[in-house]
Amino acid sequence: MGRQVAIVSAGFSEHASKRSDVNMAELVSEAVSDCLKNAPGVDFNDIDAYVNGNMPAFEGVNLPELWMTDWMGARNKPLLRVTTGGTTGGTVAISGYYTVAAGLPKIDTVLAVAFEQQSQGDTSVGLGSVAYGEISVLNTMGIPYDQLSRLLSAGAAIGVAAYQATNYMSKTHITEEDLARVVVQNRHNAAKTWWSHLKMPDITVEEVLDTPYISYPLRYGMVCPASDGACAMLFTIEEKAKDMCDIPVYVNGVASVANESAVLGYDGSGTGQIDPSEQLGAMKSSELAYYQAGISFPRKEIDYAEVYSPFPNQELMWVEKLGLFEETTAPKMYETGVTSLKGELPINCSGGVNSTNAIGASAMERPAEAALQIMGKADNQVPKTVHTSIGHGWGGSLNLCTLMVMSDEPQRKWRR
Amino acid sequence: MSKLTQRKSLDYVKKDYVRTRTMPGNWYLASYQYKFNITHNNEFLKKLKDKKIVGNQCSGCNRVFFPPRLVCGKCLVKPDQWVDLRETGRVATFAIVYLKDPETGEVQEKPTVLIHQDGADTAIIAQLNPEVDFKDTYIGMPVKIHWAEDRTGGLMDIEYYDVLEDDAEDMNPKK
Ligand SMILES: [Zn+2]
Repeated sequence: MGRQVAIVSAGFSEHASKRSDVNMAELVSEAVSDCLKNAPGVDFNDIDAYVNGNMPAFEGVNLPELWMTDWMGARNKPLLRVTTGGTTGGTVAISGYYTVAAGLPKIDTVLAVAFEQQSQGDTSVGLGSVAYGEISVLNTMGIPYDQLSRLLSAGAAIGVAAYQATNYMSKTHITEEDLARVVVQNRHNAAKTWWSHLKMPDITVEEVLDTPYISYPLRYGMVCPASDGACAMLFTIEEKAKDMCDIPVYVNGVASVANESAVLGYDGSGTGQIDPSEQLGAMKSSELAYYQAGISFPRKEIDYAEVYSPFPNQELMWVEKLGLFEETTAPKMYETGVTSLKGELPINCSGGVNSTNAIGASAMERPAEAALQIMGKADNQVPKTVHTSIGHGWGGSLNLCTLMVMSDEPQRKWRR
Repeated sequence: MSKLTQRKSLDYVKKDYVRTRTMPGNWYLASYQYKFNITHNNEFLKKLKDKKIVGNQCSGCNRVFFPPRLVCGKCLVKPDQWVDLRETGRVATFAIVYLKDPETGEVQEKPTVLIHQDGADTAIIAQLNPEVDFKDTYIGMPVKIHWAEDRTGGLMDIEYYDVLEDDAEDMNPKK
């Protein structure tokens, strides 16, 4: 068993659709500065190693971590880049955890940085570079290239989310109003978070339902924006954490589990699941991470959750699949306010991915925000005391889930 | 560790200029040679030409793959049994995409569906009969293959799926 790892700080850059005042390296340095500002006892000399990541090819730079080495203070220090598509941020955070937990000599404090500046590049090229290898097999089965583009339009994240939405809606018999309610809660929360992108303090359910469809049953008003932004998290060992901050947040469980490919399957052979809202990956990753953290009743033991939901139906789906609510009951919880800021189990009080989506950074902003809620330093702080929280990520080939379980108490069960 | 020394500031980042200079650039992406093993597909594609559909079955978990798979990801064995499948299936899930015609600028509503073929354990992306009103699509809707006129031995031989009545005779497995 590795060393107990603690989060001592987390920081964000300002998010917007176009951060034209900075370039990628400067954007990252903003998040790093903010992260160190939250931990006044730490300076660059205390950081022993770095983990960095973003979506490959989105900005047209393939080794960005080498470009921004100086901008994160990583010169002459071990540096690692990890990228797993939509879950990049989650994987970078988990890699930061691994690096500290491994117990290598002279490596105690690790800074994990994830970022994305989508306005700078062409996301369709980035997505194409991810998808073409997989879908070009359909050529060998007699589907010409012009038809492939149709499949691509259905296979991108919005298409998959729409599939999940239709299945989820038919299972739970909810209407679009229930989806809009989730969006409204997120937008209101985002308005109270300094770094978030879509701040809409006055939006109503009717206004969301008044926007045109982007892909039935999802409307423009329900969909996440494309943001520029970065996020940084500082991991260290238990012994040092107490000197670096007031309330260290202990990482008690991490998991990243992939399920069978979602839409085309590998080699174009169809999906492993008939129901796209089944999400075995989320169930397996939560099972594993909760076991590591010694959580047997997630609904009771988890006080706060940040889930990765670019689309409102996914938020409803994830909170059920991660064991926070019983199957099909999530829409009711949003209606009755259980998930609101002052509720029993607040969810996505930062506004979530639904309000801010800098793809590479999004999955890291979830555990980062969940950790800040335990420290009591979050911008939109929940009034109740948060002891245990989770940060979830989704992406990869639309089937990978990352999960980080954090608590104000270290988990001693597995340690001698 | 709690010393507040040598704190290097990054505040100069935004002070120096309000806006970065933007330099346009292009990626001239190379052509790639993707390699695929298609031995498991040959039999399947040949039969499509004769209006027959088959899937392959894993002897470990009995799952039937349509279209066929090279390896069962669950058991890590090669599915070696060929199973005949019926022409019918059900809509596993659907979404409606709004495609803009590049010439006229007209927005077309089009359902895209995943079809769960009867007798198979996987779902495949497919098209519905263009005459179907998308508002009538629902999950579990019975459908049947509409074969293309000129079949070449490819997945495009399944031109689209026709919608069946709930109590259609085709859906009766004994037939
Ligand atoms: Zn098998």
